[in-house]
Amino acid sequence: MKVKAKLKGDIVKVKALAKHAMTTYDQAKKKTGNSDDANFITRITATVNGKIVYEVSTSQFLSKNPIMKFQFKGASKGDKVVMTWVDRKGNTKTGKGKIK
Amino acid sequence: MQRRKFLSLSGLAAVAALAPASVNAEDFRKTKPTVWTAHTVDDAITAMYGTTAATESGVTLTMPDVASNGGAVPVNVKSDIDAKSVAIFQNANPEAAIAAFTVHENSIINYDLKIKLKSDGTPITVTAIVEGKDGKLYVGKKTLTVALGGCEG
Repeated sequence: MKVKAKLKGDIVKVKALAKHAMTTYDQAKKKTGNSDDANFITRITATVNGKIVYEVSTSQFLSKNPIMKFQFKGASKGDKVVMTWVDRKGNTKTGKGKIK
Repeated sequence: MQRRKFLSLSGLAAVAALAPASVNAEDFRKTKPTVWTAHTVDDAITAMYGTTAATESGVTLTMPDVASNGGAVPVNVKSDIDAKSVAIFQNANPEAAIAAFTVHENSIINYDLKIKLKSDGTPITVTAIVEGKDGKLYVGKKTLTVALGGCEG
C-alpha cells in the first residue's frame, strides 16, 4: 500500500493507493462461474502513533486499485502513517508513509 | 528491580501493540453483516442504523454529474457534524452498501474514495449518511448518470 501524507497547518492530508483487483461477485461469476471467488478489500485502517485516524469497512464496489484520501489532526511532521487493508480472503497488506 | 522494570515495560508495549485493533474500533462487516447484503438503500440504512429517518442537512456529497467511467467514480463526503460514523450507499449496484467509516477523535470528515457504479442509463442516487454523536442521522444525496458501467467488467 502506498501512503503519502502531508502536513498543512494542523491538518494532515493523506493520499493512499491499495493495489487490489477488487473483484465483485458478478465479475467472479462471469470469470470462474463461482461467485464465491470474489475478492475485495473489506477493511482499511490507518494509525498514527498507535492511534486510529481512519477506519473504513468497504464493499466490493470500491474501484479497482482504489485510491483514498482523508484528513486528520493531531500529528506532527515525521510521524508515520501506517495503513493496513484486509481482503475477503484474509490477505493483508501494510504500507507506511512519513508525514512531510 | 531491573527485571521488574523490564517486565512492566514489555507489558506496556504489548498493550500498545494491541490497542489499534481493539480500542474504539468497529468492523462493520462483522458487527453488521446484513448491511452488506441488503439490496436497497433503505434496507441497508435500516440494517446499519435501525431507522431511515434522517435530516437532509450538514452533509456534502460531491460527485461529477456525469461520470465517464463507472469503474472509478470519485466520491467526496464532507461534514462538520460531530459524528460517530459515516456510511455511503447507492442504488445502482446489486447490493447497496459501499463503505462505512468510523469517525475517530482526530478524524476529519472529508473522505475521498473511488467507487464502481453499474450503468443502465438511468440516473443513480448516491446517499451518504452521517451518524451524529447526538444519535441523529444526517443525509446528503447526489444524483448522477454513468456513461460506462463499472460492474460488468
